[in-house]
Amino acid sequence: MYIQQIIALLVIVFFITRLFRQRYDKNVNRQEFGFWLVFWVCAALAIIVLPYIDAWLSRLGFSSSGIQFLLYLAVAALFYFIFRLRLHVARLEKDLTTIIRELALWKQKE
Amino acid sequence: MQSIFIIIPAYNEEKSIVAVLRGIQAANSAYRIVVVDDCSTDNTATRAQSAGVIVLRHAVNRGQGAALKTGTAYAIKQNANIVVHFDADGQFVAGEIADVIAPLIADATDIVFGSRFLGKDSNMPFLKRKLFLPLARLIHKFFKIKMTDPQSGLRAFRAAVFEKIAWQQDRMAHCSEIIFNAFQNKLRVREVPITVIYREFGQRFSGGLKIIKDIFFHSFIK
Repeated sequence: MYIQQIIALLVIVFFITRLFRQRYDKNVNRQEFGFWLVFWVCAALAIIVLPYIDAWLSRLGFSSSGIQFLLYLAVAALFYFIFRLRLHVARLEKDLTTIIRELALWKQKE
Repeated sequence: MQSIFIIIPAYNEEKSIVAVLRGIQAANSAYRIVVVDDCSTDNTATRAQSAGVIVLRHAVNRGQGAALKTGTAYAIKQNANIVVHFDADGQFVAGEIADVIAPLIADATDIVFGSRFLGKDSNMPFLKRKLFLPLARLIHKFFKIKMTDPQSGLRAFRAAVFEKIAWQQDRMAHCSEIIFNAFQNKLRVREVPITVIYREFGQRFSGGLKIIKDIFFHSFIK
């Protein structure tokens, strides 16, 4: 295992301990905790199997390294999460409008 | 006698609102006018109230589409037969409301859209006339919608078809959504010529892009 991999794993372990601390303090709900735990475990696994990803990519004929591949995946995942976030905001906006409308109609009734 | 409600969404329109309301009242005193003040920061609401019309107030700014829906929901609750959407900035001519609702009174159609491209003269900005609106028309053609004016804000419909055209877009995309819903539900659609008096440019190209973005995100939520 390379020194870079060890450093990356230590960083991930740090984040996982922070996550457990947040859960212990009840700052995150169970669902959120589960999501981030799976996320960091997957990240750790990806770091551990990095040499294999390198070999796999070169077998496929790509010149890029495994870490670049992981970065591309991370960017794609980020775009997806931003999209999900936008949808969530759109839903909240819709709910807010419903409340504001009901309030306006109710005040008129008074 | 049909109960006709005129819904006017207003946001910071204190300079024009009273003149607009007086114009409509002069055109026909039987019209029931509802101003939906979309959380204006000026005196729009109090000025509208002073004109003796119904004023509904949004506690938070939610956009023109949301304000129109609030006003329309109110009109439906008050047993409206015909609902008219009218702007607060004075760009429409109150006397032309009669032309817009005439086919509805005659039960010749379900929904009427005012069109700036059917012969009446409007001082429409060049870019809007030659680029933005033809582009919007082209997008409509893609959905097999034939309209001369793809973004008209003056429209009227029978209250009975409200559920079929009920729009979800809070901001400016409601215009396209109402047209789309009317065609999708195979309503009887008609366009009548109207005059539009431009005091400012109105919707810009960036506004058009925002409409596309709003429609895109909204298509993913219920």
